[in-house]
Amino acid sequence: MFFVRYLLAELRRRPGRTALTALGLAIGVGLVVVVGALSRGLDDAQDEVLNPLTGVGTDLSVSRPITVPADRGPGAAGTGSFGQLSAGEQDELMRENRNNTLDFDLAKLGDPGEEYSVDRVLATELSFPTSEVGNIRGLDGVEDAAGSLTLNAVTLRGTVPEQSTPGALALHGGESEVISETVSGVDVRKPDLGAVTPGQISQGRYLSGTPAKARGEAVIDLGYARQNDIKVGDTTKIAGGRFEVVGISSAALGGEASNAYVELGRLQQLSDRKGRVNGVQVRADSADAVNGVAEGVSDELPGAEVVTASELADRVGGSLADADSLSSKLGTALAIVALLAAFLIAALLTLSSVQKRIRELGTLKALGWRQRLVVRQVTGESLVLGALGGLLGAAVGVAAAAVIDAIGPTLEASVAQQSSGGFNPFGQGAVSAGSTDVALGAPVDAGLVLLAIGLAVVGGLLAGAAGGLRAARLRPAEALRSAE
Amino acid sequence: MSNVSEISPAYELCEASRSHGEGSTLVLALDALDMTIERGEFLAVFGPSGSGKTTLLQLLGAMDRPTGGSVSFEGQPLERLRDSALAELRLRAMGFVFQQFNLIPTLNAVENIEASLAPLGMPPTELREAAEEHLETVGLAPRAHHLPSQLSGGEQQRVAIARALARSPRVVLADEPTGNLDTRSGEMVMDLLARLHSELEITLVLVTHDEWIAERADRAVRLADGGLVGDTSGQVPAQVPR
Repeated sequence: MFFVRYLLAELRRRPGRTALTALGLAIGVGLVVVVGALSRGLDDAQDEVLNPLTGVGTDLSVSRPITVPADRGPGAAGTGSFGQLSAGEQDELMRENRNNTLDFDLAKLGDPGEEYSVDRVLATELSFPTSEVGNIRGLDGVEDAAGSLTLNAVTLRGTVPEQSTPGALALHGGESEVISETVSGVDVRKPDLGAVTPGQISQGRYLSGTPAKARGEAVIDLGYARQNDIKVGDTTKIAGGRFEVVGISSAALGGEASNAYVELGRLQQLSDRKGRVNGVQVRADSADAVNGVAEGVSDELPGAEVVTASELADRVGGSLADADSLSSKLGTALAIVALLAAFLIAALLTLSSVQKRIRELGTLKALGWRQRLVVRQVTGESLVLGALGGLLGAAVGVAAAAVIDAIGPTLEASVAQQSSGGFNPFGQGAVSAGSTDVALGAPVDAGLVLLAIGLAVVGGLLAGAAGGLRAARLRPAEALRSAE
Repeated sequence: MSNVSEISPAYELCEASRSHGEGSTLVLALDALDMTIERGEFLAVFGPSGSGKTTLLQLLGAMDRPTGGSVSFEGQPLERLRDSALAELRLRAMGFVFQQFNLIPTLNAVENIEASLAPLGMPPTELREAAEEHLETVGLAPRAHHLPSQLSGGEQQRVAIARALARSPRVVLADEPTGNLDTRSGEMVMDLLARLHSELEITLVLVTHDEWIAERADRAVRLADGGLVGDTSGQVPAQVPR
């Protein structure tokens, strides 16, 4: 058909114009594809970070931070948050934390020059009875809940100093070493709601499924294991007990990033906290129920701090958060700008091309071509150019995304420590905040590629129609005169 | 009406005017021109630059509308026709030859002729055969697949003439067809136009600067400042009006 041959001849025999227009469109389309892929890559990276952060299926984490009103000192448990607790509960907390200090009398450890080793287990958060876990499980909107106990296991060892006197403060004189590790007790019957989940195990296996079998087992955090040269199969001492290392877990960013994980009942026993937990992981019936459950838990457990998974996600910082924030703020804008640029390039190049072809189009009209025939011809050319530019752009975009994928630039994700009032009345340690590197990928979304190509085609179509109509509306005499 | 058309002259101009611009920039390109062009006539329009020759040709070719007066083609007042009707008239009744040849640069010689036939909706094979046949008429069959840029000026103008004649028009309007050619090529083109005029019995209106071309016409009219200042009607065409 002549019109198709004419169209192809225009594209083939004006290679400069064809290449320029197609390239302009390709840059726009390529940018859209790359921005889309990066945006999706950032989302994936954030998901990767958040999965271990929030735990598989955990919607809320409940703890009772160690906070007291500013005008109260240690042990002042009569009013404020503690005032809401029963007298028995206040007594239990006082008992539990009575020895939660590294203060002790070195002289009682032995004669000067003798070696000593003392184990202490310090709470990071106030505990509550295990029965509260059942109460939380009974709340409306709660599908399941599991308790956990996170503590600081501190070992102080060295030689008794020569000059120690009875009643003197600890850690003066002699040689001493403090070894501190965070350890979490996990309800092994509910592994998906644990402080460490089976999904985090990178070597070995997860704790056994029953408390009896899991009593002597421990999972060690990868970083801590490397630091202390601990391997699967080793026997290690944790909180004064001996455990066989059955698995190594990848670092869980933020939250309960403990050094070691053991069976809950065994840790309760070692720390003299039988029937006590200081954390509850809760899974809600549905996403809609999360806020209601959070309120219910706050009412059920005085002084409780409830952190939802989405709140935890908001605490992710570092370059990943910056990039994701940049992506969400600028990504869409950049994609729109790229598309507008593609449209503009297509429109300007088409209009410029039509302007240069005024004589040709005027001649066609002089030969008897009707207006719609001229518009159809110019629009057809623009349509093909749009498709060409779109396909080229898609190829460029996919290639650029593949390069980004291959390079895999790393982003840092960090989680700020959860606020606990900034005052530790019982001298407890704290679970450290974490950071991790995550590789940025650029997965290409086929739908986005098709959309970008489609927009380029539509852009070419509109620009071609506008340019063609503008030229075709001129009378042949005007078109021929304006070209002179 | 058809009887009236059949006996009507090819063109009748009645006080036809064409101005461009407005106010202080108003230019009167053609000023109340009265003229009749008979069917089958070879008319040369002669005059200096800016005298209104090309404007006259564009009015005759239904490429423009008069701003005053009337231009009738075979009895039809062109100013009353819609753009689509004018396009149809250009397609089926008129052929154009331009000074700059105005070939489509991306189409080869035979495709340029096809471009003029394509709106008629002919089947592709028929279209190609007709185009090749007309190219042969002007002696350019061996150059059928050459692009305009690969042809000499004379050859390009011959392709343009073949294109103008491809649809068997009743009128051919040529705007300085030898203006961009050397003398030898110009003579060749003029010989071709004159031969086709006599063979095909078409009305040929030719705008030119050159006296020797005007002398070959049946009649020559001279324009100056948009008005008719000389006409050889009833005279020997060799006496170019001054």
